[in-house]
Amino acid sequence: MTAASPGSRRVAGLLAGLACVGAFGAGCGADAPAGSPMTVRLLVRDINIRPAGVDCAGSGAYLYVHRSAPYQVTDRDGAVLHRGELPAGTAVPAFEEDLEVERIPTYCAFAIPVSVPERGGYRLVIDGRPPIELTTDRENPEGPSLVAVIP
Amino acid sequence: MTGRLRGLLPALLVAALALGACSSPAREPDARPPAGGAQTLPGPPPADLALRPPPATAPAAPSFTATLTDGTGVAAATLWADRPVVLLFVSSWCTTCADRQRALADLARRYRDRVVFVGVAGEDEPAALDGYLREHGVEHPVVIDGSMTVWRSYAMREPPGVVLISRGGRLLRGWPGGVDAATLDAQLRALALAP
Repeated sequence: MTAASPGSRRVAGLLAGLACVGAFGAGCGADAPAGSPMTVRLLVRDINIRPAGVDCAGSGAYLYVHRSAPYQVTDRDGAVLHRGELPAGTAVPAFEEDLEVERIPTYCAFAIPVSVPERGGYRLVIDGRPPIELTTDRENPEGPSLVAVIP
Repeated sequence: MTGRLRGLLPALLVAALALGACSSPAREPDARPPAGGAQTLPGPPPADLALRPPPATAPAAPSFTATLTDGTGVAAATLWADRPVVLLFVSSWCTTCADRQRALADLARRYRDRVVFVGVAGEDEPAALDGYLREHGVEHPVVIDGSMTVWRSYAMREPPGVVLISRGGRLLRGWPGGVDAATLDAQLRALALAP
């Protein structure tokens, strides 16, 4: 490998900057450092009555957790590692019992694909609300995950 | 910078613009009035409007005042003074709302002046809501419940939700989780409109 000339380095820097501008325009999270893919798994235990499997948002006091709400994944110092908009949640049964009715007590589960660098800890910030601590779960059968349960 | 590198700059700028092509282009300001504003309020009810009396046991619907998307004030008691009212609790980000909205908007047009359909938007942004209403052909009044007061008074925890109210303000039926247009139409005929 040959050493890059100052001009080449300037061009490389310019390219990186321009790519960053382009990526930001696409809503891809410009200021976040590169990282490895993980899934933020957020379970909102709102015990709302819904059919299992339907799209959902957090209900009642958790209504701010909804599709298109802006979020950030940060490290413990508050540095932004990833940002985006939440997908819709999915209603999951709150209890195992078969109640033999269509609408049952459910929680709202969100699976949010992110890309974050290795850090000692992570937090999820939704629409400027107080940070939610995320627990790293690299052994999750569905892939490396950052997990939180509210409340 | 070398001449070769200078020659690359236009191509780099084009590449950057292409990368950013999914960003929103600059748009002219929208001069149209917001969807769901005062222009969507109904006219007088038809003289031959025949309604079923509400059950004597039907509870009173929570009364409220609110503001339409264009800032016009409305009072629920005025809306249900001379015809039934359907409240549609929605948010622009709600996928189930979106799946059902166009058929419900068609139903509202079909019953215009006989039954007042009123959207009650909560946890929403005005621009996103306006886009949602236009995309789904909504031509009935929509109030913005910024403080969520109306939502709470009807125990609405998550969109969608639908409430049917009689002339005079009695609760006839509620559907937390919403209802499709065909079912709502049938229930309107069964509970509110005389044959």
